[in-house]
Amino acid sequence: MQTTSPASSAGVIGEAGAAIAAPAGPARRGIAGSAWEPYLYLLPAALIFTLFVGVPVVGTVVFSLVHYNGIGALSSAEWAGIANYTDAFTDPKFWEAAWHNLILIPYYVVLPAVLGLIPAAMVQGMKLRGSAIFRVGLFLPYIMPGVLIGVVWRWLLNPVFGPVNDVLTRLGFDPPTWLGDFTWALPTVGVIGAWAAYGFCYVVFLAGMQKIPADLYEAARLDGASGWEEFRSVTIPGLRREIAVVVSVNLINALRAFDVIKATTDGGPGRQTEVVALYMINSAFGVNRVGYGAALAVLLAVITLVLSLLTLKLFGDGDD
Amino acid sequence: MGVARRFSAGETAEGSVRRGPGAAAAVRRALAYLILGLGMVVAIGPFLVTVLASVKTPIELVKGIFALPEVWRWGNYEQAWTTGHLGRFFVNSLIVAVGVVVPSLFLSAMSGYAFARFRFRGSAVLFGYLMLGLVVPLQAMVIPLFYLMRSFPFTGGNDWSGNGGFGLLNSHWALILPQVAMSVSFGTLMMRQAFLAIPREIVEASIVDGAGSWNILWRIMFPLTRPMVGTLALMFFIWTWNEFLLPLVVNIDPQYHTLPLGLLYFQAQWTAQVPIIAAGATIIFLPLTVVFLLFQRQLVRGITAGAVKG
Repeated sequence: MQTTSPASSAGVIGEAGAAIAAPAGPARRGIAGSAWEPYLYLLPAALIFTLFVGVPVVGTVVFSLVHYNGIGALSSAEWAGIANYTDAFTDPKFWEAAWHNLILIPYYVVLPAVLGLIPAAMVQGMKLRGSAIFRVGLFLPYIMPGVLIGVVWRWLLNPVFGPVNDVLTRLGFDPPTWLGDFTWALPTVGVIGAWAAYGFCYVVFLAGMQKIPADLYEAARLDGASGWEEFRSVTIPGLRREIAVVVSVNLINALRAFDVIKATTDGGPGRQTEVVALYMINSAFGVNRVGYGAALAVLLAVITLVLSLLTLKLFGDGDD
Repeated sequence: MGVARRFSAGETAEGSVRRGPGAAAAVRRALAYLILGLGMVVAIGPFLVTVLASVKTPIELVKGIFALPEVWRWGNYEQAWTTGHLGRFFVNSLIVAVGVVVPSLFLSAMSGYAFARFRFRGSAVLFGYLMLGLVVPLQAMVIPLFYLMRSFPFTGGNDWSGNGGFGLLNSHWALILPQVAMSVSFGTLMMRQAFLAIPREIVEASIVDGAGSWNILWRIMFPLTRPMVGTLALMFFIWTWNEFLLPLVVNIDPQYHTLPLGLLYFQAQWTAQVPIIAAGATIIFLPLTVVFLLFQRQLVRGITAGAVKG
């Protein structure tokens, strides 16, 4: 079931829900035909999937068990056992990078969720003119490539000619250099991540709120519940699956963070914003420790999978 | 002002969820507009000032980001497009996007059809196998992908054993093939569901008519799933258009860079030339925005459904 769990949460809003929730068992309605026919239909997709997803995934695990300098023929790789993994656990740079991912979690997960929930709760039940425009505008950053977001924010936050510090200075503040500042760089990258995601959270929450039955609110009102109590005891429980989606998606983004950071700080200043994905790519292709990079990739994938499953278990239980 | 009056008087009667008559509701409504407006300005403001910056001179830029330029400097785009090679990157992005979207749709339709309409041994296992693509991130396969591309036999100067040349590195194939493979997982899932939703009478009628499974798929079923095919096409397009890590790893030759990777090097090259960089950013931003505005309904639905796919 591990293949369906993360996706099933995502499906609750969209059309995917039914399909993923259903077991992947044989379809009920069959077309008569030769026994090998379905395999022929599957063949092209399965073949390309195996070659360019299946083989590389296994390849990452295999690479993680060898020492390879990336330059010579693949046959020059030497068996390493679990040495790359034990190296990782004793490598302060790896722990530092993992710590940075951890710090990003509140920025990537909690901040956009809260920033999306507040406006969604405010407009719930209202028929606002132009609500579609707001939805589109708020969602827009979420579909933009991370590099673009990075390039735009790098300019906006530029300490010399960027508009943000220009305004802050005129207002009498003494702003830091943000992305270039040892203390501020990581929080700044985190806020950029939150900025890119809050509109997505808003749209997901709003869609979820529309599905909460109105009579639940009427019942709460008859009990004399205040607006806040209503929100706490009706809205939040009604949004449990949406919260699971938002938290797990944002969590995955926090753990995999790469594009925006590559384009804004490239891990700097110093190593202040170096995250695991960045360290992994630098290990494999920058300093040619391919096996070590692969081990980091395996660790990252496993941690991501475990944490997102935990999230779904935490929020998603008991429904349906 | 007309707006405020209209809302305070109008909708409270049918406001089923919220309490409070007239005045309170009007305040709430105004507050909602305020918060939404603020959220929207923060969300799209950075892009708007970037577009504005792209038609200015560096000096005009320092004078104020919201100020309009004296003369609109379209030359910035020319410089980004030709001198900065963004034109080539744009074409590369288009080639790769088409090369990923079209085959992914056809392969997904065929595999989704197999799972939706046939009963066969091993279907559950095969389905689970394909769905692995939904949980495995690119980061967990990108290192071997580099070596797979480098040692692809009979390509890029390689012999049968994959030695001697650069294989598929530095070609559009290095981007197209893995992204098709990553797309078919989500595609199979969605197409299977779309096919299952077709009423059985339609399928049975065509079986009675003696149509073969191939014709049933392409003549009858595939056209009926057009909304889903459209949504999938959009999702595949955006994933491909935005992909960054894969080209970063497999494309060393700038001749094959797509826009996101191109913009990264472009930024490094033109460090202090903000208007040129802004023009480059707009070249990526604008097509995506147009696609998004045209198909926002399908896209929002598709992205929220496929959000977990890396």
